[in-house]
Amino acid sequence: MKAKVQVVLCKCCTEMPTLLDMERLAKVAAESDNVLSVLTVEAVCDGKQLAELVNDVKDKELDRAVVLACHKKDVSPAVLKAYRRAGVNEFMVELVNIREEVVLPHQDEPERAQAKAESKLRAALARARLLAPLEKQSEIMRTRNIVVIGAGVSGQAAAREAVKSGAHAILLEKTGKSLKAPGVILPNSTLVGAEGYGGNFKLKIRAGEKIEVLEAAAVVLATGGGWTQLKGPLAKAVKDAMPLYKLYEQLQAGAVPRGPVVIVDTPDPAGKTLKVQDYAWDDTLETAVELKKRHPDIQIWIVFQEMRAFGLSELAYKEAAEMGIKFIRYDKAGAPKIDPKNPTSIAVKDFSQGELVNIDFGSLVFASIPSNPDNEGIAEALRIPMTAEGGVRRGSIQRWPVTTPKPGVFVCGSALFPKSREIATSEGEAAGAMAGEFVKKGTIEFGGAVAEVEQEKCSACLTCVRTCPYEAPFIGKAGKAEIRIQGCQGCGMCVGICPSKAIELHHYTDEQVMTETRTLLGGDF
Amino acid sequence: MIVAKRKPLTEIAEMLAPYKKVTVVGCRSCVAICLAGGEKEVKMLVSALKLKAKKEGRKQQFDGFVVERQCEKEWVTEVEEKVLDSDVTLSMACSLGAQTIGDMYPKHLTFPGLNTGIFGVPEEQGVWSEKCVGCGNCIIHTTGGICPIARCAKSMLNGPCGGSANRKCEVNLDVDCAWAAIYDRLKIQNRLDLIEQVTPAKDWSTSHAGGRRTYVREDARLTPHQKKGKEAVQ
Amino acid sequence: MVERKPKIVGFCCERHGMDAVVLSARTGKQYDASVRLVQVPCTGRVDGIHILQALEDGADAVFVLGCLEKNCYYDTGSIEGRKRVGYVKQMLSEVGIEKERIEMFNAASSNAWAFPEAVGKMVEVAKKLGPIGGGERQ
Repeated sequence: MKAKVQVVLCKCCTEMPTLLDMERLAKVAAESDNVLSVLTVEAVCDGKQLAELVNDVKDKELDRAVVLACHKKDVSPAVLKAYRRAGVNEFMVELVNIREEVVLPHQDEPERAQAKAESKLRAALARARLLAPLEKQSEIMRTRNIVVIGAGVSGQAAAREAVKSGAHAILLEKTGKSLKAPGVILPNSTLVGAEGYGGNFKLKIRAGEKIEVLEAAAVVLATGGGWTQLKGPLAKAVKDAMPLYKLYEQLQAGAVPRGPVVIVDTPDPAGKTLKVQDYAWDDTLETAVELKKRHPDIQIWIVFQEMRAFGLSELAYKEAAEMGIKFIRYDKAGAPKIDPKNPTSIAVKDFSQGELVNIDFGSLVFASIPSNPDNEGIAEALRIPMTAEGGVRRGSIQRWPVTTPKPGVFVCGSALFPKSREIATSEGEAAGAMAGEFVKKGTIEFGGAVAEVEQEKCSACLTCVRTCPYEAPFIGKAGKAEIRIQGCQGCGMCVGICPSKAIELHHYTDEQVMTETRTLLGGDF
Repeated sequence: MIVAKRKPLTEIAEMLAPYKKVTVVGCRSCVAICLAGGEKEVKMLVSALKLKAKKEGRKQQFDGFVVERQCEKEWVTEVEEKVLDSDVTLSMACSLGAQTIGDMYPKHLTFPGLNTGIFGVPEEQGVWSEKCVGCGNCIIHTTGGICPIARCAKSMLNGPCGGSANRKCEVNLDVDCAWAAIYDRLKIQNRLDLIEQVTPAKDWSTSHAGGRRTYVREDARLTPHQKKGKEAVQ
Repeated sequence: MVERKPKIVGFCCERHGMDAVVLSARTGKQYDASVRLVQVPCTGRVDGIHILQALEDGADAVFVLGCLEKNCYYDTGSIEGRKRVGYVKQMLSEVGIEKERIEMFNAASSNAWAFPEAVGKMVEVAKKLGPIGGGERQ
């Protein structure tokens, strides 16, 4: 079927004609192959003028358009909607940014700007001739389930927020602890496998001794820190050393810890197995202050490399110092040591005084939180990336701070990196709210400009499977790669890397990209 | 699988310099998987050679094609016309493919574009390590599944040698001592008794040291009655 | 005699790359008109063959503009883009073509200076090295 193109030249109110000869552009368009209509409008973002375009398309039975205007992102919603009314598929409309790519940056070079505009017009036409209509699809989410992995402070917060959107929360708690949260709590449970994609996951859960399959629309990872896995020479030397949260629990339960209490930042000061993590300092200071308030007679020491009391925790730091809690700072050269034969005394070189200090203690507490070793198995099951420190890696920090790169999988709390309970709770709320919003939609939309494998060319080399951040490519029953379009984000990474050129990206095929490039290079500069 | 590496482009360009019309033929099998000679690499090579010719003001024609498996005559036949129409063919398959084209068209020049290579395992995307040298008599059932011929620098059968230290090979501190690995493996399999058994000297006649090897499945061979065309006459 | 203008192609990602281009224009930045942009969804889409073909089709220099690696909209796309450019650079140097002719740039949407800077660098390279094979392009 031959292409029937409508070319629209937008004056952008008056901006374009101040630099460009619009009539010359219109002439180039009119003399190009397949162009059956050329319209010049004042502002393509004006509803009335869009109506003109629509009527023109209908009258002349045109099937695609090239629109020279401004930035795609600004003008496309209205323009594509209008073309849809005219029966033109959204992927058959080529928007060319003349305003920001030509007019605005080349104010002093009208001739070169004209040549550039004409080049872009020709290239857009060359590309438009190769366009094909594409359909987006939608699929109903079979459940409203949000599975929260971990029922700690973060997980509970996530569940609380998630149910506000009408979702059902199912919390997997690896211990048998009794907890309260809005939703179903499966004790002694964890995630062991996952199939599917955001909106329709099929999760394999080990609940006690049994393996169950549970369908879910979204997953929130709230596995927390590796509290019980404290490793390092100091933890090894003192058998009853405890993580900070244990001290906190003791306090809440009304128990009195054996004094003096020494809180060290990490059980591994030399840093071979654990990096110094500072993010629980707000919790540490507040717990120490609380302990001192309740039991003023107990001596408290805080031994650290770097104190990061940020924001209002600065006040807790001040209060703690004023209450007589002692702070000892060290550096790696004078790291704290405990002789296993005498596990009630800690020796550390005070960085400011330069003196070796020996502190006898009744309780040893660690403020740092290592990564949860369970993260590995869960990340493997969900096929999501991890950080070098053993946490779960998030997607872009500015855009998606509580999500993983995989759509439908959210993450919060110390599962990302160690943090205090308060912040973990906030993050849990955020993740729960996002998961709730996601599931509330009830359907997932996908397709359109997605990748597709030409099976005969595929060498089943697994390169695409390994490269994609979204788990979209997989090796199908035919032993060749296929793209799970529900997961495909249309980035084209697999397309660019396939060693057998077996994958194409619809709307950005090699032919389309290279024809556009060639046409641009064939124009005047 | 067979893992190969593209020859440096300088070497390839030099090989092809005297010829006007060059056909490049790749393969979709092993060399595509190890990112050396698939359709993408063929296209990129053709483009780079064209650019070089352009830069040097030489008139040289390059064309690229790919076949499913270059060591099989039936597939090579698909590009016969293109091959014979050129002054030289550059094979971007492993040497097996390059030699197949050469054997099929003996008067025609077929050059290797890749250096073959190793029997390599993809340790991770982009990294292939040699774990087999094709000795023809596999004994890894006695070494916990780890091949000492390929993975030990001295191919010892009763290692480790005196140079092994801290689980590393004396040849290169980056290389793990295969026998340390074998020991660890046999230990977790509760078969350390195998280490104590002395393995006699290897009979290398099954390896390439015994000369060029041919593997035959008599029952799979086509009888003269079954063969077709000119093969039937031979 | 009219001096031949440099011919430069840039493959620009639809996300941070193009946002940075638009912002530079809207903040009034002016730069050389020798660049023609081809938009791709992500620089991970860019195939080595696109870059080489652009050089074959007459480009003096080619660049790829994507998101900052730590903030790529498609998570790892600009990392892939960088690897593709790196591989082609290696091929070019092996065939005696200056690898400075191609380059990878990264920007965040708010970096109004990034695109004009990239243009400036590539125009300088193109002017210094001229067309591949010298002389006039047809």
